[in-house]
Amino acid sequence: MSELDELYQEVILDHNRSPRNYRAMADANHKAEGYNPLCGDHVTVFVRLENGVIQDISFQGSGCAISKASASMMTDELKGKNEATAQALFDNVHKMLTGDESDEQVADKVGKLQILSGVCKFPARVKCASLAWHTVNAALKGESQPASTE
Amino acid sequence: MLSYATDAVASIDGLRVIGTAKEKAGVLSFVFDQIHAHDVGTILDQEGVAVRAGHHCAMPVMQRFGVPATTRASFAFYNTIEEVDVLARAIERVLKVFH
Repeated sequence: MSELDELYQEVILDHNRSPRNYRAMADANHKAEGYNPLCGDHVTVFVRLENGVIQDISFQGSGCAISKASASMMTDELKGKNEATAQALFDNVHKMLTGDESDEQVADKVGKLQILSGVCKFPARVKCASLAWHTVNAALKGESQPASTE
Repeated sequence: MLSYATDAVASIDGLRVIGTAKEKAGVLSFVFDQIHAHDVGTILDQEGVAVRAGHHCAMPVMQRFGVPATTRASFAFYNTIEEVDVLARAIERVLKVFH
């Protein structure tokens, strides 16, 4: 598979076309905005956290296929997880996207999200894929400043 | 070359040329409704075509016209008509990826 095919796999294109959990959430108790000023990607992540467990998570925003697909898959993956598990997943996804750990090393730690591993071959796109993750991190920590990949 | 390039890309399905002034510099900006400029830029790059994608340091004007980002090809004296054809074919590849 070429690097380009690996980046734009069917699953990623599908999440881009029909993003999951793409909505505002009125009863969210955690919320953060993420902004990538260099490329203009913008995302808002909504979380309803109860007893340390992510009961519901959604997002809205505009951006490229990679950022939208990454946010969509992230919401799918984090729903029902507790904060510690979410944090561990964030760390592992980050290592995968930046190429700090190989596909084999992260394989059993990131599950379905491994489909995003092709991003590490495109340094300019790593921030597209990591924006939603930085944003959910900010939401869970209750940070008031918009999350940024810069 | 600019008019050749404009004609070459304007007929591509879903592509909209941004900036159609009569006396314009040798740049060709364009957008797709459903494909973000950064995705276009990455695919063109893989096809050997260097373009700029994003706000081009002109975020206020992008917001004013409701455009999230554009892809922009710039032409100079060293570019050739054949390279414009390569650009047009590379854009077709973008459409294939996003069918």
